[in-house]
Amino acid sequence: MSLTQETVLEADEARVVYNEDSDTPVEAVRSISLDLRRGEVLALVGPSGCGKTTLFNAIAGLIPLQGGRVSVGGIEVEKASGHVGYMLQKDLLLPWRSVIDNVTLGLEVRGKPKGEARKIAQELIERYGLAGFENSKPSGLSGGMRQRVALMRTLAFEPEVILLDEPFSALDFQTRILLQSDVKRIIREEGKSVILITHDIGEAISMANRIVVLTNRPATVKTVHEVPWGDEVTDPVAVRDRPEYQEMFSKIWQELELAPRH
Amino acid sequence: MAMATDIGEAKTQTAAPPAPKRKPRKAAGRWRITAYQFGVLLALIALWQVGLWTGVLRPYIYGTPLGVLQSFATQIANGTLIWHFWVTAQEVVLGFVIGCSLGSLAGLLLWLSPLWAKILHPYMIALNGVPKIALAPLIIVWFGLGMESKIAIAAIITFIVAFLQAYKGTQEVDQDLIRLMKSLGASQWQTFRKIVMPGSVPWIVSALRLNVGFALIGAVVGEYISAEAGLGYMVYYSGQLYDLNSVWVGIFSLMIMALILEAVVARIEKLLDMEV
Ligand SMILES: Nc1ncnc2c1ncn2[C@@H]1O[C@H](COP(=O)(O)OP(=O)(O)O)[C@@H](O)[C@H]1O
Ligand SMILES: [Mg+2]
Repeated sequence: MSLTQETVLEADEARVVYNEDSDTPVEAVRSISLDLRRGEVLALVGPSGCGKTTLFNAIAGLIPLQGGRVSVGGIEVEKASGHVGYMLQKDLLLPWRSVIDNVTLGLEVRGKPKGEARKIAQELIERYGLAGFENSKPSGLSGGMRQRVALMRTLAFEPEVILLDEPFSALDFQTRILLQSDVKRIIREEGKSVILITHDIGEAISMANRIVVLTNRPATVKTVHEVPWGDEVTDPVAVRDRPEYQEMFSKIWQELELAPRH
Repeated sequence: MAMATDIGEAKTQTAAPPAPKRKPRKAAGRWRITAYQFGVLLALIALWQVGLWTGVLRPYIYGTPLGVLQSFATQIANGTLIWHFWVTAQEVVLGFVIGCSLGSLAGLLLWLSPLWAKILHPYMIALNGVPKIALAPLIIVWFGLGMESKIAIAAIITFIVAFLQAYKGTQEVDQDLIRLMKSLGASQWQTFRKIVMPGSVPWIVSALRLNVGFALIGAVVGEYISAEAGLGYMVYYSGQLYDLNSVWVGIFSLMIMALILEAVVARIEKLLDMEV
């Protein structure tokens, strides 16, 4: 899967202010412009509390913008309508549903008949190594497997854009590393366009095509880095030995360090 | 019985590794606990009897174990105990079913209208705080002296408890789940059916537990106030006549009814747990 220059998502001077009409408005996102190309993984790194999740909520149409615009597939986002697949640090699996019925959730919402939805889910489950667990309840799975189910749920829905908000940060180191390369491979195979929020610079470098570094709140784009091996499915551990990795790591590290604090 | 099923489960365990391990000594422990439970009962009766023999307890104020047994035998023989039991059981069960089902439904549906939830908020706090049994005299006036008024008392009290609990359940649903559903483009009704309703089941079930007690209180207090039949009526009437043995028979019968209802609710709880 090679990149085209086609843009699937575009943010144009997007601005979000919480409690704008109150005495204590909080400007979370100042003016963010970025574009996501089809088939690309774009990483967003930035200090915690700088407004990353806020930006995602705006892209998903869950909160309104106070300025600028966001469009997905050429259509301006006005409200939540299922144009994005959203995955969070919490897997948010429904404990009362089996694995397969968790995967079909989004398809059900879209009104797909149960039988068809299950067939799609079953295929994904088998393709990505969860066969045999279809009828297990999430409580019986490890944290890594649960996140995998959450990813299956997102993929089954076939959204235009996938938003991953620190999806691995609750996992232990080894599981995280494993899942990073797995998820990258899956995203590549499915040809998905993804924005990944992470505060792990290494994760950004090994998973993304481009990395956007954000400033402190209110978030603005500070720099954009092109990852030289962006399209390869890299081994997140082996990649650390490459000289470009070291170079990029310390550059981004410094940029985050230098972000002015309020 | 319990032993046999335990062994059966131990066998299937090798086939299904995720099943939690059972301790083999558990069955034996259970029998021991049952034995001790009976021991406590016997000890209490013995203490009662010793109190009577030594003159610490007066028989006409406290009744006697033998007298209770005799009263029980006569009332079984002439059918009055069964009759009172049956009347109260109907009141309790009908009140419970009506109150719990309508209350849970109303509490769940309130999630759909945040505006109404806000409007009703002070009323909910007031209802939660008031001793609900204080409504009983009013309800008797409205519904008359028959069984209907006792059913109504039990239903109204259990309604309030079920309503408040179910609504609380909807409020405790993870907001991120609701955010997820919205991002999937779900309608409010879809979120309600797929997330809020099943997510509130634990709260609804805990309300069932509480409501066994409330339904019993409602029916019995209703019978105290005014009735022609039922265990509450029997206890109250016998108390007026200083027939303490019959009072005990009534109280023990109520305890048995409570135990049966608790067991039924525990079974429902288990079923819902498997579904959910
Ligand atoms: N609903 C809200 N109302 C007011 N302020 C909020 C709200 N949500 C987030 N914030 C504030 O906006 C800022 C950015 O939050 P967030 O987007 O969650 O940061 P990040 O995901 O980058 O850690 C934080 O200072 C946070 O306190
Ligand atoms: Mg965040």
